[in-house]
Amino acid sequence: MHEMSLVQGLFAQIKEVAKSHKAKKISKVVVQIGPFSGVVTESFSFAFDVLKEEELLLKDAKLQLLLPDPTFMCSHCSQKIDGSKITTQKRENSFHNHLLFHDIKCPVCKQGLLYPYGGDEILLTQIEME
Amino acid sequence: MCDTCGCQTNNQNSDTRLIDINKSLLEANNAIASKNREHIEKMGAVAINLISSPGAGKTTLLEKTADMATNLFHFCVIEGDIETERDAERIRAKGIPAIQLTTGGACHLDAPLVHKGLHKLEDEISTTPFQILFIENVGNLVCPAAFDLGEHKRVVMVSVPEGSDKPAKYPRAFLGSDLFLITKIDLLDYFDFSIEEATECAKRINPKIRVMSVSAKTGQGMDKWIAYLQNLID
Repeated sequence: MHEMSLVQGLFAQIKEVAKSHKAKKISKVVVQIGPFSGVVTESFSFAFDVLKEEELLLKDAKLQLLLPDPTFMCSHCSQKIDGSKITTQKRENSFHNHLLFHDIKCPVCKQGLLYPYGGDEILLTQIEME
Repeated sequence: MCDTCGCQTNNQNSDTRLIDINKSLLEANNAIASKNREHIEKMGAVAINLISSPGAGKTTLLEKTADMATNLFHFCVIEGDIETERDAERIRAKGIPAIQLTTGGACHLDAPLVHKGLHKLEDEISTTPFQILFIENVGNLVCPAAFDLGEHKRVVMVSVPEGSDKPAKYPRAFLGSDLFLITKIDLLDYFDFSIEEATECAKRINPKIRVMSVSAKTGQGMDKWIAYLQNLID
């Protein structure tokens, strides 16, 4: 539900950058949404498409989402574990509950359980402008 | 589209520029949140952001806290709701200064709104010094989690009737919280709520989170909650 507010904040940031670069048009916006950010990517894209209609500068802008794999930390050996190494399951809008709550042991020490490490970022990474 | 021949490839000679930014979408909110934190520290207080679903007992917890804290510390409350002054009135009835913020529809408080609340608190209430500022967020276990308000500690609450699966189902709220408060434990006999399951799930998301269970109605466990608050002041 808060995806609308996030996109409003994003547009305010973009307008500032566009002004300082004297851009006439924004053609692409790249946003990175961390796996533990709690953002529903479909709602975010929907909010982007709805709100851009109200902005002359952004009317033709395309949104590109970067969805990095999760990183976990082991509760026993404190190793950082790349989530893509322990599952082939594609990232969805989940919090990776299939990894967190099914007692998957750390692949390094085989003892500890895994918990989320970082991944709560919501970043504007790049803007393509004309 | 290419300007020269109309093909679908990008024209390298066009005015298209790619600018690297790498800034959080919440940057504006977070900057104001930092200001709020400084502001609250200047007031000589620590702030607690209370997050839960509607009806988990945030206001009742604060009412009971008011009864128990009388000779221990002073506190104020910023109430966040979509509509009405009801919660602030309940707190004021206990002799505690309270400011009501109404979002008019928004599902969470943000730092600019709390900033307004801080000034309202200073302008409208000539209060004795207080040590704790509670910010009671809009009842919602999802959206408030993303917004730093300038708090020092975040407390997430789940009541017994809601079920012990809530940390697993609403993980983001547990990620940044210092304390997980299980409320309404006087109802444990009537619901299939497992404190063990709720605790384990919360710790799988955030191993550092502390867990306490209380009943604001019977007072059970409230002494630990009060001790937690006193410890924040010292």
